[in-house]
Amino acid sequence: MAIKFEQVSYDYVGVDQTRYRAISNITLDIAETGEFITLIGETGSGKSTLVQHMNALMRPTEGEVTVYGVKIYKDVKKKNKNVKLNPLRQKVGLVFQFPEYQLFEETVERDIMFGPKNFGVSDADAKVRARQALQAVGLDASYLERSPFNLSGGEKKRVSIAGILAMEPDILVLDEPTSGLDPKGREALLKLFTEIHRNLNKTVIIITHDMNTVYEYASRVLVMNKSELVFDGTPDELFLTGDFGSWNLETPDMIDLTRKLETKLGVTFHRLPKTVEDLHAMVLEVLS
Amino acid sequence: MNIIEIRDLHFHYVEQEQVLEDINLTIEKGEWVSVLGHNGSGKSTLSQLIIGLLKADQGEIIVDGLTLNEDTVYDIRKKIGIVFQNPDNQFVGVTVEDDIAFGMENLCFPREEIIRRIDEYSKRVRMNEYLKKEPHNLSGGQKQRVAIAGILAMNTDIIIFDEATSMLDPKGRDEILDYIKEINAQGVTVITITHDMKEAIHSDKIVILKEGKILKVGTPKEVLNDKATLNASNLELLLPLKLMYQLEESKIDNPDLKDYLWQLSLNR
Repeated sequence: MAIKFEQVSYDYVGVDQTRYRAISNITLDIAETGEFITLIGETGSGKSTLVQHMNALMRPTEGEVTVYGVKIYKDVKKKNKNVKLNPLRQKVGLVFQFPEYQLFEETVERDIMFGPKNFGVSDADAKVRARQALQAVGLDASYLERSPFNLSGGEKKRVSIAGILAMEPDILVLDEPTSGLDPKGREALLKLFTEIHRNLNKTVIIITHDMNTVYEYASRVLVMNKSELVFDGTPDELFLTGDFGSWNLETPDMIDLTRKLETKLGVTFHRLPKTVEDLHAMVLEVLS
Repeated sequence: MNIIEIRDLHFHYVEQEQVLEDINLTIEKGEWVSVLGHNGSGKSTLSQLIIGLLKADQGEIIVDGLTLNEDTVYDIRKKIGIVFQNPDNQFVGVTVEDDIAFGMENLCFPREEIIRRIDEYSKRVRMNEYLKKEPHNLSGGQKQRVAIAGILAMNTDIIIFDEATSMLDPKGRDEILDYIKEINAQGVTVITITHDMKEAIHSDKIVILKEGKILKVGTPKEVLNDKATLNASNLELLLPLKLMYQLEESKIDNPDLKDYLWQLSLNR
């Protein structure tokens, strides 16, 4: 296992000195390759805290996270000076929710080069990687010399993702990568993540609120609710057995409409459609 | 009575092509108008022009009888509250309560009134238990609720929600929509900037923007009835509507089913 959580909890302390438990008693395994995981749950349920443990940006208050064989616990730095956390951050690339946080250089090229150079890649190699990464996120080379601050929100997201890709991580973690994008932008990015997952054989972990993404793309779903991991399984299992009401999850549009049509037409569809064409064909079948 | 009038508005950013072209739009007092379009259609630019954060190349914006210019911009901003897409860009306070107070302090509300309103509006957005917390420890949805409380507390005549729900979870989005309905029912003029037709369908009037031009202005019904414009808009259609169009193409004559899908599209 690339990442292993064993009974991990994390508390933060507010200005009033009260402790708040952000994640509670999480046990979880994540493989190095082949997974396309969506992490869902309402705002404040602990999703972002959970993923920041995956590359040691945060350390558990209780329990232990193992990332590529390195044990990370509360006092890891204090007790063991030899533990190097930096290499883990190259292996597990994290793209934050708001790309503005990660862009700061004068040009897009330098911004993308920053990560690899930080991990010891030469200038020349970093330049090559910047070009490849930019291409991988669907932007042409004309963007290299542009200032990242004059880009649109969707373009900034792409550049920040390119910056992480250029570090060539094994696992790519994205915190709400499609939020704020319109449907076309969303679809294009998800297609990109699918390609990275399939072609480069990387595990991709996406935090999302969009149940349509879960339904259409995920191989595995994690559900957080009130700081706890309440579900770990396939999308099909989730839609059959999940407690959508108390976890505050939305039914994907496709499933919602399919069930409404079953009631309306007084029929039972024996499968769930993935696309509107699918659903159309199913309706035609029962009407004829 | 028109609370906002936009006449022949043109705008472009330095060294970029036209962003908004020939925009004419009137918004009545108490109306809820959605501006619907893709990223890059110019919809956020329009909201920034209305509050005078950007200056038009040409044309006129009249807010509540005042023509927007350098002399009137501060008076106009007092009439308009705006909630942005990214709540992190609007946080100024050390604690949640400081943050809610900020807008009211700028408008010189009396202290007791500020305290009373912090209590009232933090409860309204279910953030009253977080008043002493630091905003950066909150989740995105919680931050957005705090931002909304701060704007609601300012009691402005007009509130613009600029993609304010696009980063929220479904529950958070529905809650914000409920607040919008509530304040609109109380007489506040609301402009929602969105790319989500599901959201726009709740408003009185939809303005479809494409590549800086107004493609269509109409009620949700009028807009959904205009298949040609919808196709040209490249907007993501609502699923029941997509299915309805496909059934039409297959020459399925089932008026009952068609009507059902139509009502679902209108969220009835």
